[in-house]
Amino acid sequence: MNILAAVGIEVPFTLPIVDYNAIAPLLILLGAGVVSVLVEAMLPRGSRRFIQLFIVFGALVAALAWIFTITGVRVITAEGAIAIDGPALVMQGAILVLAILGALLMAERSIDPSGDAFAARASALPGSEDEKQFTARGYLQTEVWPLFLFAVSGMVLFVSANDLLLMFVALEVMSLPLYLLAGMARRRRLLSQEAALKYFLLGAFSSAFFIYGVALVYGYAASTQLPAIASVLTAKPGQTSLALIGMALILVGLLFKVAAVPFHQWTPDVYQGAPTAVTGFMAATVKIAAFGALMRVLYVAFGGMRWDWVPMMWIIAILTMLVGSIIAISQSDIKRMLAYSSIAQAGFILVGVIAASPAGLAGALFYLIAYGFTTIGAFAVISMVRDESGEATNLSKWAGLGRKSPFVGSVFALFMLALAGIPLTSGFIGKFSVFAAAIASGDTWLVIVAVVASIIAAFFYVRVIVVMFFTEPGPQTASVEVPSVFTTIALAAGATVTLVLGILPQPVLELVSNADLFIR
Amino acid sequence: MNPANYVILSAILFSLGAIGVLVRRNAIIVFMSVELMLNAANLAFVAFARMNGNLDGQVAAFFVMVVAAAEVVVGLAIIVTIFRSRRSASIDEPNLLKY
Amino acid sequence: MTEVNLGEEIVFWISGGLAVLGALGMILSKKAVHSALWVALTMINLAILYIANSAPFLGMVQVIVYTGAVMMLFLFVLMVVGVDSSDSLIETLKGQRLVSIVLAIGLAILLIAGVGAGLTDVVPVGLEEANGVDGGNVEGIARLLFTDYLIAFEVTSALLITAALGAMVLAHRERWLPRASQAELSRSRFLGAGHPGNLPSSGTYARHNAVDTPALLPDGSPSELSIPGPLVARGDVRPIDHHDVDQIESLGGGTK
Repeated sequence: MNILAAVGIEVPFTLPIVDYNAIAPLLILLGAGVVSVLVEAMLPRGSRRFIQLFIVFGALVAALAWIFTITGVRVITAEGAIAIDGPALVMQGAILVLAILGALLMAERSIDPSGDAFAARASALPGSEDEKQFTARGYLQTEVWPLFLFAVSGMVLFVSANDLLLMFVALEVMSLPLYLLAGMARRRRLLSQEAALKYFLLGAFSSAFFIYGVALVYGYAASTQLPAIASVLTAKPGQTSLALIGMALILVGLLFKVAAVPFHQWTPDVYQGAPTAVTGFMAATVKIAAFGALMRVLYVAFGGMRWDWVPMMWIIAILTMLVGSIIAISQSDIKRMLAYSSIAQAGFILVGVIAASPAGLAGALFYLIAYGFTTIGAFAVISMVRDESGEATNLSKWAGLGRKSPFVGSVFALFMLALAGIPLTSGFIGKFSVFAAAIASGDTWLVIVAVVASIIAAFFYVRVIVVMFFTEPGPQTASVEVPSVFTTIALAAGATVTLVLGILPQPVLELVSNADLFIR
Repeated sequence: MNPANYVILSAILFSLGAIGVLVRRNAIIVFMSVELMLNAANLAFVAFARMNGNLDGQVAAFFVMVVAAAEVVVGLAIIVTIFRSRRSASIDEPNLLKY
Repeated sequence: MTEVNLGEEIVFWISGGLAVLGALGMILSKKAVHSALWVALTMINLAILYIANSAPFLGMVQVIVYTGAVMMLFLFVLMVVGVDSSDSLIETLKGQRLVSIVLAIGLAILLIAGVGAGLTDVVPVGLEEANGVDGGNVEGIARLLFTDYLIAFEVTSALLITAALGAMVLAHRERWLPRASQAELSRSRFLGAGHPGNLPSSGTYARHNAVDTPALLPDGSPSELSIPGPLVARGDVRPIDHHDVDQIESLGGGTK
């Protein structure tokens, strides 16, 4: 017992040292989220949308600009809880740029004649008189914007968390708003609500695994900080059974978020049910955030147990690539097909993760960025293809679409080719760099499986192109709505980056390889 | 008694929670099972805190409780929404077909 | 409390046993309300185990937050959703239940074996020293919250705001019409087909004075307006016992 405390004298309290400069992007986003909640509470309904958009884009751009000023920062701060290093900055930047594109999609109001992508009032029963009245009066659920900002701040924190407990909190800050956003679609609301429920229940299940794993690792290492775990692993290499089981459970939680087989069951339903704008945003950014955390945990904390996790990840990567590619072939709904495609892509990125080398890390980062832009562009196109009842996601309604609207058709074809990994697109460079890194690390067999899976996957990507361009448009064929400037910018950015990264990948390749490794 | 018994108890509770999630079909019961799993994690944290002789485990358990509370609010809100939509199923069915 | 003494061992076996019993009860009971009550049992016993493990603060928080708030919220939602919501016992996927149980038992064996192997010869350090630094368990936790876990602590505020916002968005029903005034309400009551005045109160007899007993109209028939609709729907309405009525009237010497 401390004598000072026993006699009632204050024990001196030293403030924790926080490098506010390094974590400013996070603080900007959280602050903007809080302001945005206040806007909801205080301002009249009519003016909210404009001000919310101003806050959201202002905060995203400001956070991104701040990241450009701290590119050289490599620091572990906040008493070891946060690590701002090269990979973290690259991923935070990528998340912010993709979040801007996602916000553009979410802000779109011209495609659907009755409003934006979200229900006029998520609390009004589907099909009720209330719902009709709210829709007719042009109500907008502007609460999506604070939720969106909190989700983005969770992601930004998730990729830089250096402490498993903080990582858990960040995981929830990222996920809870996404569960809510997934359930707020304007059309097909029951499907959307069911998607939210499924996403929520399975997400909570997986985060329970994550936290139990953290508990076991804490039992082993007496700390939840990643570098401390690594040093305990080197100090007592013998009795690692607790650490091993703990690591496996943590991986279950993270692999759920990246949608790796066998933790992928939520993906198709959620991708299909959620509003398309949210699906695009989530598909691109959650993947980056989850892979960032996965790599940090594997490399920083469990680098010493590489020979324990590599076989496990091998099996998961192979299953993910094959199951994703094969099941995607039989899909008739384009959103579901892209969901299985995202599973397969997660498998390809895992190949880079398994390489566990600087080249593998750089390859995975490049792949994530390329995939993010392509995916968000593809979902932008899907949100524009409609018939009288809303989005036409059934593949049969896409027959002849390329002939009916050649420009949008070709852009979508570009995205499909990129996802398939055809040369001159970003997808090819991404696949090439992760596969090359894996071969350099001696995982040749894994790469062979990956190439086979890519060929299978190419089949269904090309099938979409064939359906769009080599069938006559019929009365069933959906039409392409003309979007406002929001979706146009997102689509143009997605297409440009997909093409530019395929032809001139050098600057981004340099960026990701100069990002160094994770700081310890 | 070995203090590891606490951890073994937590492992049993965690597995029972996992069985609940996988076997039960009622969303509320599934969610309760998840809460049970989080509680099991807390018990492990508390027991390990005592074994390791630092309070980090207790702080971790505290955070898990906060997170669980927030999760419960969001989850139950989603469940209530679905319930309300489903109860008026006769109105919904044509809706699903139309859109 | 570095060593586990006999008293704690007894507490462990009783509370631990009850906690497992509660978990089993949750899985096995058919009705969701019963499950919730079983979980509450588990949570209270976990609180006791926390206190036994030198975590008095967490023990109290467990009682207040989990049994007090979380489980009550569960019960509240169950009441909204319908008390008798229960599982259909039909499997949608054949063999899914069996496979799940096998998987979970595998997980349990793996966890228990792993934990057992990892913790064979632990000498617990105990928390006397850690608790002593700041003068107590609560002070120690507080110091950690505001130093090492500062960021996590601050970020949980985002979590709580999200939760409040989410509940508002999904559950708060806005009105698109202005609220009807008292004059409008009473006008619509008298002009409409509804009952303009108070509904008749339920029947009053010497033996039953309850909402489930209908009032009798002058002609001796029960008045349907005098009993709440949900009771009718559940079939809980008490039938008129004419023998009783006659007996009561003969006692009073009154005429029908």
